[in-house]
Amino acid sequence: MLVRRDADDIREIRPRAALGALVVVVAMLVLSVRLYQLQILRGEDYVTQSIANFRKSLFVPADRGLIKDRKGRTLVDNRPSFDVFMTPAFCKGRERDEVIGKLKQYLQLTDEDVERIKTDYQKSWLSKDRLERFKPFLVELDIPRDQVDVVEAHKTEMTCVNLIPTPHRAYHAPTSLGHVLGYMSEVTPDEMDDHPEYRRGQTIGRRGIERRWERELRGADGKQNIAVDAKGRELDKDTQDALISEADRLVPATPGNNLVLSIDERLQESADAAFPGRAGAVVVMEAKTGFVLAMVSRPSFDPNKMSGRISRAELAKINEDPLKPMLFRVMNENYHPGSTFKVVTSLAGLESGVINPGSTISCGGGYTMGNHRWRCDKPSGHGTLDLKHALGMSCDVYYYAVGDRAGLDALSKMAHDLGYGQPTGFDLGRETPGIIPDTHSIAPVNGSARAQAINASIGQGEVNVTPLQQAVAYAAIANGGTVFRPQIIRRIETPEGKVVRDFQPEALRKLQTKDSSLLAVRAGLFAVVNEAGGTAWRSRLQDVQFAGKTGTAQVMKLGQKQKLDPTAQAYFSRDHAWFASFAPAQDPEIVVVVLNEHGGWGAEAAAPAAAKVIEAYFKMKREEGVPPAAAAPSVATSSMVQ
Amino acid sequence: MALGVTEKKLDHLHWPLVLCTVIICSLGVWNLASATKNAPLLMWFVQARWMGIGVIAVAVLLFIDYRWLQTLAWPGYAAALGLLAGVAFFGKKVLGARRWLQVGGMQVQPSEFVKLAVIVVLARWFARDETGVRKGQYGVFDLWRPFALIVVPVALVMKQPDLGTALVTFAIAMTMVMFAKVKWRDLIFMFACGAGGSVLAWKRFLKDYQKQRVLTFLNPEAFAKGAGYHAIQSVIAVGSGQWSGKGWGEGTQNQLAFLPEQHTDFIFSVWAEEHGFMGGVVLIALYAFLVLAALDVAANARDKFGSFLALGLAALFFWHAFINVGMVTGLLPVVGVPLPLFSYGGSSVLADLLGIGILLNVSMRRFMF
Repeated sequence: MLVRRDADDIREIRPRAALGALVVVVAMLVLSVRLYQLQILRGEDYVTQSIANFRKSLFVPADRGLIKDRKGRTLVDNRPSFDVFMTPAFCKGRERDEVIGKLKQYLQLTDEDVERIKTDYQKSWLSKDRLERFKPFLVELDIPRDQVDVVEAHKTEMTCVNLIPTPHRAYHAPTSLGHVLGYMSEVTPDEMDDHPEYRRGQTIGRRGIERRWERELRGADGKQNIAVDAKGRELDKDTQDALISEADRLVPATPGNNLVLSIDERLQESADAAFPGRAGAVVVMEAKTGFVLAMVSRPSFDPNKMSGRISRAELAKINEDPLKPMLFRVMNENYHPGSTFKVVTSLAGLESGVINPGSTISCGGGYTMGNHRWRCDKPSGHGTLDLKHALGMSCDVYYYAVGDRAGLDALSKMAHDLGYGQPTGFDLGRETPGIIPDTHSIAPVNGSARAQAINASIGQGEVNVTPLQQAVAYAAIANGGTVFRPQIIRRIETPEGKVVRDFQPEALRKLQTKDSSLLAVRAGLFAVVNEAGGTAWRSRLQDVQFAGKTGTAQVMKLGQKQKLDPTAQAYFSRDHAWFASFAPAQDPEIVVVVLNEHGGWGAEAAAPAAAKVIEAYFKMKREEGVPPAAAAPSVATSSMVQ
Repeated sequence: MALGVTEKKLDHLHWPLVLCTVIICSLGVWNLASATKNAPLLMWFVQARWMGIGVIAVAVLLFIDYRWLQTLAWPGYAAALGLLAGVAFFGKKVLGARRWLQVGGMQVQPSEFVKLAVIVVLARWFARDETGVRKGQYGVFDLWRPFALIVVPVALVMKQPDLGTALVTFAIAMTMVMFAKVKWRDLIFMFACGAGGSVLAWKRFLKDYQKQRVLTFLNPEAFAKGAGYHAIQSVIAVGSGQWSGKGWGEGTQNQLAFLPEQHTDFIFSVWAEEHGFMGGVVLIALYAFLVLAALDVAANARDKFGSFLALGLAALFFWHAFINVGMVTGLLPVVGVPLPLFSYGGSSVLADLLGIGILLNVSMRRFMF
């Protein structure tokens, strides 16, 4: 009975079982279609992803190009050094704290450092991008040799710590070249967004040549592709060979190009040694090419310090220094030129015809216009003077008269022709253009156009110039009227020494002045140094005759410096001393401009320094025979340890 | 009623099912050997040994008429519940879940055997219950007893927590219910209520952090390493197999350990990565064949008890294979469900082979009265 009913029931189960079979077949077909979709339709995508899983690119840093002086002396190169990196993904939890504790001991880290490391760790660990934790972050830059040994010895206890050999920049040049060369520091996340070729922890050029020529110097990093397992461990050789093809294994780095500067390291040292002041600038430039031979900006900074481990306290000290060590005085600060500007007034007077070289003006110790009297440097007056003697003795009254007669716009035009009031085109970052007033630009509060012309005639009033502009203008006067763009790069060479680019002198314009005008001005500048009564007579040299002009720029307004203590105030209210010169006087080779901030009299605080530089230049020339010229192509030092 | 196996009965052995099982077992061990190539332990050997033990057990049990299981149903059910309770109190905790009992030197996962016990006890209930016959069809409320039978073990498994096994156990029971004469209207009503209730609860009553908590509770491993990581790596493994796969032992996802749990829940990914679409389809076809064979046994069984036993086992193999493959190919969320006879694990292998044994037993005795 029971069995019979069972049979009926089972018969009734059959249609349901058939339906069940249909469901099973459909379900399995769905799975097969899914497989088709994943493996056939999207198969290639997933192959790519599975390769990306195990393939890890180790980065092979490119050697940065060297920087040399014109004679091939190495100013900047690279030295082998080690950075410590840590990969968060490979040490978690307690291991993390142990490793950081060990690093603190081995690397003698401060608590501040430890905090920074923990913050960096957390940041990449908690990042939304889950791959972020596999990217090593910088623990400590450029650790000393003995610490390298210690970390190396404890490598097995700290599997998440890597010592990455990274060539670091070594600056051998005198620190007075700090602003020119610049320095290196770690790339910021923003920069990495713009330039994906930079990796975290890498450095990038800051300021000066390092920054301007970053692209040439950097080269291109290479990479080494290796296979790793899910825990990031490198696989054995056979597996490596099977997974990554020979051709794909190493993409070698391309080293950066070398830069040969027009700077002469020895002359740079001489210029630095000759400069007497606490702050200021020296520019030595070839008069007939515009190539810079030496460039001092004082105070300066040590690029080695700035590129390496610098403490917050040291940075703060630099930033709070009232002398502003980071300021590149050669082109980023402007000053009243004082009497050095009288060459502009002379040329403007001669060209506009209000004077000729022989015409005389009488100096009675002052010049009156309306109800204002401008005093001469010499209260008793210079008597009757022609151009040569006016320049030689730096008579203000003569120039008040010339400036007044020629007018502000004539002065302004001549100044602009000589390169004042605009960037010189020096290729090392943004320049201060300086200020050259004309009748449209002057502020009425500062007096009438006539009064402004009188002020401007002796380089006061609103006139402001940079030391570099002075060098360019005096070079034009010295070389017969060609205004050159100042340059500092002579050549770009490959690491093997092949010249990639050779820089030629670049004449910006030719002055439209009469030769006689330039001759007359040069005669006056000659008299300054070489004739008794000339303001720089005491700085004249035995072997070389040079010409130049002293300047003493009044610093009237103290402005925000009022807060300084009395000694500092006394310093900051002193005049700036200028001397702009060229040598030899007859056939000028070089221009030397010295600015001694708050140095006092140009004749005392600037001219002797210029004389020393000129002396050093010719002594060097005698010793080294040929004039300072092209350096022999040089070969880069051998490549760093990879 | 004879209890011996005659030559006649041996002829009645479901040979296609035997062959299919042997193929799956062999491929399973071969695949496991690749998945655990870098493991210190010879896991494929351990697995093969369990299979050997399972085959011997099945061979012995073939001599015993499956109807004895009716007698064993309640004691077996009680024992299963006892084991689950034991797990809850003395279980070994691994990755936040208590699923294993330490017995001597071995770890036993009772939830694998609970599935069998539930199948047997439900088959017994459906075979004996007269309600359906009397009324012609079951209504929803007539089914309170079988529901009561499965609620306790499912709840205990859920508590471990082992969402996958709980779901599969529940799905098996539901499938068996569907094969009983339940009114279609009531079946649909039941599903509608269940689905509607869950959706409503999820959308209206649970806050985000609660949902997250529920998800984390249900599936701790997936959240321990970051949601989605396992699923992504598994899909990459499967997809990168393309037509014919990377070859045995050559799957990078598998060998370099990018694939999680590659010897247990994600064993199919290993297979699909190394043997491609062709291998994958063949394996899916084998499981389909296994389930169809079980349905065939059910349709031709001698009595209702045997028929429901076979249905339950068909459901067991079907849900395991479907959920597992669906999960590793990213069709279904990641819940831990082993692939029968492929995933590493003694308890699961033994339970699956016992299931095959029951199917053979039912099939062999289909002509006896």
